[in-house]
Amino acid sequence: MTTLTRQDLNFGQVVADILCEFLEVAIHLILYVREVYPSGIFQKRKKYNVPVQMSCHPELNQYIQDTLHCVKPLIEKNDAEKVVVVIMDKEHHPVERFVFEISQPPLLSISSDTLLSHVEQLLRAFILKISVCDAVLNNNPPGCSFTVLVHTRDVATRNMEKVQVIKDFPWIVADEQEVHMQEPRLIPLKTMTSDIVKMQLYVEERAQKT
Amino acid sequence: MEDVVLHCQSGSAARFSSLLETTEKLLEPFPCRTPPVFTPWFPAAADLRLPLRPARPAPVISSSAGLLASDSRAHTHTAPTEPHLPENKPQKHDVDTDKRCDRPHTETTARPEETLSVSETPNHLLPASPRHRAERRVTDLPQKNTESPIKRSWSVFTQRGVLLDSSQSLSRRFHHMVSVHRLHLRQRAKWVISEDNCGTAQDIEQVWRTLSRSVRSSRLPTCNANIQRERAEIWVFCDVLCSEQVGRFLKEELQLSGRISLSVHRLGNVFSM
Repeated sequence: MTTLTRQDLNFGQVVADILCEFLEVAIHLILYVREVYPSGIFQKRKKYNVPVQMSCHPELNQYIQDTLHCVKPLIEKNDAEKVVVVIMDKEHHPVERFVFEISQPPLLSISSDTLLSHVEQLLRAFILKISVCDAVLNNNPPGCSFTVLVHTRDVATRNMEKVQVIKDFPWIVADEQEVHMQEPRLIPLKTMTSDIVKMQLYVEERAQKT
Repeated sequence: MEDVVLHCQSGSAARFSSLLETTEKLLEPFPCRTPPVFTPWFPAAADLRLPLRPARPAPVISSSAGLLASDSRAHTHTAPTEPHLPENKPQKHDVDTDKRCDRPHTETTARPEETLSVSETPNHLLPASPRHRAERRVTDLPQKNTESPIKRSWSVFTQRGVLLDSSQSLSRRFHHMVSVHRLHLRQRAKWVISEDNCGTAQDIEQVWRTLSRSVRSSRLPTCNANIQRERAEIWVFCDVLCSEQVGRFLKEELQLSGRISLSVHRLGNVFSM
């Protein structure tokens, strides 16, 4: 077993790769389960050895990829505290927030087993929880859209440069109304603790969706 | 405080003084501790700071209610989801697209009531990345002549109104090709319509519009299609079983000139008409 620190070259990158790969799958699945997009654009695939629904719409796929590509440097530097998938109604008020709270230990022990099997099992459990979360959530109003918010550990504007990875994919500070929800209901979905990352997922659901 | 009377059994003086001492201690007022000010754990400091979000909104994809398919299978074109490439790197379409479209239908499942979707993302919502810039360059020019500001780049065809006769006749030449290459009849195949097939009377955009109109009438079984504006090509995907029928339809309905070729994943071009 090898012990690495955050300063070691590839550690942050490894964690960011794993998390971004997971977040991509999770975002697709959330959009499918919460019916943000027509189900016809989704195809069944296999990830972490479980079936997942992935969009096959090029523009949507590109949007998600671009978003995560920009988030990756923040995760790599351990600057991202939360990645939030916000589902908004027609008036762009949030109705649901899927909050991925991420925390990385300063020291870690890495072995190939840790990375490949244990973490995968933990992430699989997240995916399974997302796929059945509609059972504990109320239906969303029609015409919903989504956005991805990144809460940084430091003031957002200080991280603006880090996130502007793609030239034509600018980032801005979110509006207050996009972030805060009135009387949210908190639904914890899953938490994981591994040697390389700790993460918890919960949903904040607006009490009155319509 | 009122007087406290202590009743005890008679005994030694030492025991009595010890008892008195204990009693006095018990009667001392309780120490009062000021509780610390309650600080709620929520919202955390990070919650008070506003997060970052992409400036561009997510694409809007609406389900075309009037065109919902009634069949139980979905045919969706899977666009290439290549990893992030450097900006000036050309887009790789062929491999990914072919891989996915060559899947037998049984691998693709979707909710039956919503098998047809039409992308209605307006051009101004498209990212201004080089791959989209190329598309814009092509689409901007003829835009003056088009009726609708929305330009679709891909379509999913429904099977509504199309009866798939499993015993439909394949030509001897096509049948031979199928058996030589050992193709599965449900395997996906791709017709490629290039600019050369459009002749002089029409261009690729006009052909694409005609093809898109055919979506409405659902005359192409098992098909989905997209336009590759960078390549000036239209790709029409269908089952091998229906590909000859689809090819004939394309040639006649779109008034194509020259030969159009049918390709399947790994083998490349296997047939032309």
